[in-house]
Amino acid sequence: MTDKAIVPAASEFATHYAQRRSSQDRLLHGVYAATFVVVVLLVTIPIAALIYGSLRTSAPGNPGEWTLRNYAGLFTEGVLATMGTTLWIGLVSSAFCIVVGTAIALVVHRTDFKYGKFVNAAVGLAFYFPSFILAMAWIIIGAPGGIYNAVVDGILGMPWARADIYTALGIVFVMVLHQVPFVYLTMSGPIVSMDAIYEEAARTSGAKPHVVLYRVTLPLLSYSLISSFILTFIITIEQFAIPALIGIPGQVTMLATQLYLLVRFSPADYGLAAAVGLALSAITGTAIWAQRRVTRAGRLTTITGKAGRVAPIPLGGWKWAAYALCFGFVFLGLVLPMVMLIYTSLLKWFTANPFAGMYTLRNYAFIWESASALRSFWNTLVVSGIGAAIGVVLGLLCAYFTLRLKPKGYRALDLVASLPFGVPGVVLGLGLLWAYAYLPIPLYGTLAVIIVAFVTRFLPYATETIGGQLVQIDKSLEEAAWVGGATRLQSVFKVLLPLARPSVQSAYFLLFMAFFREISSAILLYSASTQVISISIWAFFEQANWGLASSLSVVATLIIFAAMSLITWLVPTARRR
Amino acid sequence: MSINVQNLVKRYGQVTVVQGISFQVAKGEFLSLLGPSGCGKTTTLRCIAGLENADGGVIKIGDGVVSAPEQGVLIPPHERQIGMVFQSYAIWPHMSVAQNVGFPLAIRKASTAEVARQVDDALGIVGMRHLKDRHPSQLSGGQQQRVALARAIVGRPKVLLFDEPLSNLDAKLREGTRLEIRRLQRELGVAAVYVTHDQEEALSMSDRVIVMEAGRIMQTGTPKDLYRRPSNRFVADFVGRASFIDVQKGPDANTWIAPDGTPIRLDSGRAEAAAHYQAMLRPEAIDLIAAGPEGMRPNGANVLKGRVYDSQYMGAHTEYLVNAAGTTLKVHSTQDFGPGSDVLVSFDPVDCHLVAVEDQAAKAA
Ligand SMILES: Nc1ncnc2c1ncn2[C@@H]1O[C@H](COP(=O)(O)OP(=O)(O)O)[C@@H](O)[C@H]1O
Ligand SMILES: [Mg+2]
Repeated sequence: MTDKAIVPAASEFATHYAQRRSSQDRLLHGVYAATFVVVVLLVTIPIAALIYGSLRTSAPGNPGEWTLRNYAGLFTEGVLATMGTTLWIGLVSSAFCIVVGTAIALVVHRTDFKYGKFVNAAVGLAFYFPSFILAMAWIIIGAPGGIYNAVVDGILGMPWARADIYTALGIVFVMVLHQVPFVYLTMSGPIVSMDAIYEEAARTSGAKPHVVLYRVTLPLLSYSLISSFILTFIITIEQFAIPALIGIPGQVTMLATQLYLLVRFSPADYGLAAAVGLALSAITGTAIWAQRRVTRAGRLTTITGKAGRVAPIPLGGWKWAAYALCFGFVFLGLVLPMVMLIYTSLLKWFTANPFAGMYTLRNYAFIWESASALRSFWNTLVVSGIGAAIGVVLGLLCAYFTLRLKPKGYRALDLVASLPFGVPGVVLGLGLLWAYAYLPIPLYGTLAVIIVAFVTRFLPYATETIGGQLVQIDKSLEEAAWVGGATRLQSVFKVLLPLARPSVQSAYFLLFMAFFREISSAILLYSASTQVISISIWAFFEQANWGLASSLSVVATLIIFAAMSLITWLVPTARRR
Repeated sequence: MSINVQNLVKRYGQVTVVQGISFQVAKGEFLSLLGPSGCGKTTTLRCIAGLENADGGVIKIGDGVVSAPEQGVLIPPHERQIGMVFQSYAIWPHMSVAQNVGFPLAIRKASTAEVARQVDDALGIVGMRHLKDRHPSQLSGGQQQRVALARAIVGRPKVLLFDEPLSNLDAKLREGTRLEIRRLQRELGVAAVYVTHDQEEALSMSDRVIVMEAGRIMQTGTPKDLYRRPSNRFVADFVGRASFIDVQKGPDANTWIAPDGTPIRLDSGRAEAAAHYQAMLRPEAIDLIAAGPEGMRPNGANVLKGRVYDSQYMGAHTEYLVNAAGTTLKVHSTQDFGPGSDVLVSFDPVDCHLVAVEDQAAKAA
């Protein structure tokens, strides 16, 4: 109608408007660019360095030549055997974990089991029980000269019942104890939030409770089960501490430990180690890809967000089996290892017979007197406290940009920020080892490099935790703020952040705890002055100083449990996840 | 202030969801965008609000251009001074009622006292003053809706935008709130654009209604216009209930021929030029009479022979499906007829409108 009148007015308006516009968005775009650069550098530097290293003949920083021999090295008998061991240990452990973890979750959430709350809390604690401490405790129990063998052979006189933890089955056993809480936690969500109508429909059709379980509940959970299985497989073959502590003495080698051995023991072969690391990453990367496919397919089918309460399944005669399962797990995975560590930490010299022991507190006194032990506590606090804050800020920015603002190139950021999921800790450490030999900044041997490693490794966890909540915050809440006169930045601070706060808190909690326990990505990067507590414990244990390793473990575990209770108490929402 | 939309175009990737539409809303006017789900109503509204960046055309609010992508102008929403009510209400769960309503003022740096006074006013207008310290989780759907309304009007916006604000309320509440929204808008005297897929809502609230389909405007007019004189089959069908008889040109402009050869006299005034035409009848404009002689009555009404084929009792009336003139007609009658009864169907030529039919729509019943 009046096109002509409007158009000139618009172009006149355009010039003065363009100037205002540019100053307004500059800040946000500056932050985006900075985030992009930091994330890309964090993630690509170690990966690129690893690829570079896998193509070189020499150790990092030394003159050498281009070569493909490291890849050829992957196909030697030794490495192929290691791959086979890694795969079968991974598959068998994950299968056991799925069965045990899901069974506990079903008992706790779906039956009339009386101690569900207690088991839920205990399994939650076990989730935060560090793998290397668990492995040490079980070595103290199950080594040829350990407590179990002393009891069955020496006291009970049953030599046929002797067992040796330093075997592949020993690795599987400890691995299962360590990963069951993970399965329990990942399966609890789908089990609790599963819409009750499916089960109610089956019950009204005349199915008995246990028939409903087999015919409806478990099939509905199948996507979650497969997804959880793959994730467990990934974290199992990524695991470093358990196969290293148990497998190295027993000469059972998994890929992660092979890499470590290639770097730490002469003749060192950094190039082959890099190739092994890439091979391991290729396996985990493929598994993650498969897991994403499964979750995407699964989203279409089953679970709604609505939680409904179905009447619990009566356990009846199965009550004792449920007790044995739940309390058995809590005993083997949490109570017994803790008791053993406390016992060992109180002994002057290790003995399997508690009546012959000479008890002392000197292992604890040592922590106070030793400058290095205190420093490693301090280092851990710095790395966890500051590192987790950095990780959460980066994760928050990544989540905001990739899920909300979606500026140009956000897909690339999303992809790059999720890559560390596929890179096992030791592999990341090796990549950084290669990278820092060439980078101009003298980071190697500083706490900063440990923080960089941890932040990189756990960035996807922060992004996912925060992103998971961001996508649930209805976009119109932010739009209402814009319409009400708020700029993008104002709406972020007034609406988005306050609403996302629980996820930011739980991401910080998650990262703090993860950093506190992390060992695999630090094991190749620490120096005497940058030892963190996990490394100190490791070092004492390797020196066969079980007493000191135990006392440090007890203190570290108590700190973890105390921090967890404190945070859960202060911020109830942080518990989620 | 008025709203002026010229040739608005919006694309998502390859798909053009708003195809160059133009309309104006005068100051104080209440305009509805009506159409089936997915036809581009929300997108149009969000382009006006600045929540979507338009791809073409010009939007003016008052005298100011707020969107002219070809000229590089896209004013962000926070500078457009609009009030908007979202379908989901978008009440911020971390703020109290008063904080929610005061947000547009506080963000523009009004003094605390001023904010408090105006929040009080706005909450008073929607009758929610006593709940101002509540948290949104403690409010019912209807109350949240009022908070959203209060927040939309508190900053004295230039225009008010509504995106299906009543679709989450139950039927009783919906009717009361319709009246209230209309009253508020009249008091403020601002231009309002109201998006809905509910024709009853659009007809009862609006000064003018725009019927949209697939990103285009099918017809613009007052509610009475649209209902009584739709210009095409789509509008006739979407606004209210209607039956259609395929017709061919007859001896004169106002006499057309039904498929079975019956001549039908009708009003052909509004129909757009098209390849096919149908005669449209509203169910309440038809009378059913027990069978008798057929033909045109002296007073000029059309009378056709028919047979009742099915019926649905609705309380106030019964809806009959009657086979007549080679098609099925919907008829509302307060009289009772059994299935299979022979009846006469009678209607006034002024109640029977010629409408243009797009090609595929002709086949759909
Ligand atoms: N963000 C988007 N991306 C792609 N397509 C969209 C998006 N938003 C809306 N559409 C599409 O645009 C069309 C119009 O949508 P909308 O304006 O929301 O319709 P409605 O009339 O129901 O409000 C629909 O076909 C919808 O699928
Ligand atoms: Mg809509």
